[in-house]
Amino acid sequence: MTITGLGPHGEHASAPERVLLLPEDLARSRTAEFRVAIALHTTVSDWAKQLQAGLVGTLGGAGVAVIEVADCAFTSDVQIEALDRMIQNAPDAIVSLPVANAKVADAHKRIAAGGIKLILLDNVPTGLLPAKDYVSLISADNFGLGKMAAESLSAHVAYGATVGMLAYDADFFATNEREIAFIKWMQINRPDIRLVTRRFSEVSEAGRSTRVLLDELPAMEGLFVVWDTPATEAAKVIVAAGRAVSIATIDLGKAAAIELAAGGVLVSVAAQQPFRLGQTAASATVTALLGRILPAWVALPGIPVTPDNVVESFQAIWQSPAPRELLLRKRLIE
Amino acid sequence: MANFQADSSTRRRGRSRTSETAPPSLVEILNRVRTEHSTTRQDLERDTELGRAVVADRLAALNEIDLIDESGLGVASGGRAPRLVRFSTERAHILVATLDQHALGVGIADLGGRLIMEHHEEADLTGPVSMLCDRLTTLFRWIMDRQSAKHELWGISISTPGAVADGTETLFQLSTPPVLPGWEHFPLVERLMEAFHCPVWLRSSVEAMTMGELHAGSGTGCRTMLFVKVGKRIGAGLVSEKVLFRGAQGAVGLIGSVPVSLGDRTGTLESMAGSDAIAEEGRAAAERGQSPLLTDFVRRGQEIDALQVAQAAQLGDRAAIEILSQSGRLIGQVIATLANMLNPELIVLSGSIAQSNDILLAAAREAIYGACHPLVSRDLQIIRSQMGSSSGLVGAATTAIEGLFAPSTLREWIMAGRPQAHPLFTSLMTRIATEVQSDNKAPNPPAKKRGEA
Repeated sequence: MTITGLGPHGEHASAPERVLLLPEDLARSRTAEFRVAIALHTTVSDWAKQLQAGLVGTLGGAGVAVIEVADCAFTSDVQIEALDRMIQNAPDAIVSLPVANAKVADAHKRIAAGGIKLILLDNVPTGLLPAKDYVSLISADNFGLGKMAAESLSAHVAYGATVGMLAYDADFFATNEREIAFIKWMQINRPDIRLVTRRFSEVSEAGRSTRVLLDELPAMEGLFVVWDTPATEAAKVIVAAGRAVSIATIDLGKAAAIELAAGGVLVSVAAQQPFRLGQTAASATVTALLGRILPAWVALPGIPVTPDNVVESFQAIWQSPAPRELLLRKRLIE
Repeated sequence: MANFQADSSTRRRGRSRTSETAPPSLVEILNRVRTEHSTTRQDLERDTELGRAVVADRLAALNEIDLIDESGLGVASGGRAPRLVRFSTERAHILVATLDQHALGVGIADLGGRLIMEHHEEADLTGPVSMLCDRLTTLFRWIMDRQSAKHELWGISISTPGAVADGTETLFQLSTPPVLPGWEHFPLVERLMEAFHCPVWLRSSVEAMTMGELHAGSGTGCRTMLFVKVGKRIGAGLVSEKVLFRGAQGAVGLIGSVPVSLGDRTGTLESMAGSDAIAEEGRAAAERGQSPLLTDFVRRGQEIDALQVAQAAQLGDRAAIEILSQSGRLIGQVIATLANMLNPELIVLSGSIAQSNDILLAAAREAIYGACHPLVSRDLQIIRSQMGSSSGLVGAATTAIEGLFAPSTLREWIMAGRPQAHPLFTSLMTRIATEVQSDNKAPNPPAKKRGEA
């Protein structure tokens, strides 16, 4: 699977293998007693839990102590406070998923200024430069995920259909890339489709925004939601309204996987690999701490998931068996 | 509007009108504040030698058109803390784009040249210009929708792969120059002006990247800098006394055309050391079985490009290392000649190969330090760019901002408070509107008669 997007500064992607840790790297790391802090946008979503599992586990294998995992609750002020607290504790590295752009840029700049290595996940705050302000960005190929979602949704909507897009109202590299790619694919391959965008600022608004779209667009046949948690909220609203709208989204959370297996309104998921992303971020962190040069952007490809391959995709992405409810819905057990 | 536009009938005979005298002092005051040479009213009175009343009047005028902000307080030196006079960088935005051989970057910046957001994607510049124009328009509209609802748009600035001839008659484009094949038949600049109602600037990508590096990258604060972009084309940008040197025709730094020799082979620097040459050497090494990694790429059905050669070199492939070293040495030899001539304090290597790989940089460094006069190399720093394609976007923004606020241009629109009032711009927009109208009115070609081929 190739990477179709470019990095936040136009970089070409490097494969996760570029940060592979060899036995001698692990041996050196174990003797160094490194300390790392982690600041995530949230710690409660399925994606975040998977990422943490891959990240913390791999760091543990390299003998690196994780001294804090902060849940920034999608809030700039909380993240700024968390990062400043972390800097005070002087870890060797901080792994951060910036929750915004300009608002959190200065706080992230203070990390490198304090002599601490910064590894970014999914987003680069405005003005930060690789090798100067941060070591590397580790993310999914979000542009590729957006294209994947568009392609899969296209098969479920008729010629001349109206398609809604529920986009995130924050300046965030990952969701921007997904949105731009989705629109681009549709404009090139399905110029017959009428696209209407509505934005939400918080996940709790997703249901309300879906209702507005349903009211405004009585002929809406398809809906793209930029990630799975708001997509499952949108699915509930669509089912309650008794409308036949096919949904495509990104990220294979548990709820989304079960919804997909049910063969309902959610018809496809362009899945990230959060567990592998966490592992890659951990390897990148150790590589940086060992003083080796890292590429500016390491990207992981997405996986297209449909009701047909949801069980095996779940296992591959989550590195664990599919939940009982999913297996029941697929009628693999009784 | 401020009182400098007061009714002239009340003025005494022989005394010049305020509307005639105001623009030069407004321009001077605004540019001093914008470049932070003066940060308080006292600074302005001292630096411009204008009276307190005149400075107060001009600041009131600039305040009224939201170009300055006096809400902050400076540090007191005994008495009351002085009010800071600051340029309102958020007054308007500039849309920016970089066009590369295989990629397109877009973004938006404030009037301080700060990039607010950017996006890069792969693109094919050999396709029809109309498609490029449509893509740029779509992306610009998306950015405006996301970022600029509360701000005016004052310019579009684009960096292009080819040199843009220096237009001495104005600081923004009056037409579309034939920078790339096909541009002579498609009014790209006019289409963008029509769609976004603002002036358009074009610069070569090397010039824009040099400006970006100087403004926001490693070159910040540098007096003399040489910027070299290594890609399919190899070009250089020169900064002298903190200003981009554009030469007689805007064609400075076309070092890719310099002839170089390697053994019994002679060719231009571009053809011997550019990314096409690196890819070609990589393919040859794979075919000869000299490079296990590149041979494996081919065996897996992958096409070898320069980036793959660079990645193979980074992973320790000896043949790939030699290819990049050779390219670095050739580039270094040419840069050394320039360095001996220009005595820069900083040389920045950019482009995806130079940025993703240390081997080319190391070989270039060795060649430069080895061939430079000791006085030239003593404090010379040779580094790779950390900005990637962002330098082109920041540089494009800087180009537009310098164009907008150049005294000769600023004087023409400052009284109206927005650059769209510049007489050249208004006449250009009228011309474009007339052309569009006449295009729309043009009679349809006669329908073919039945039986005609």
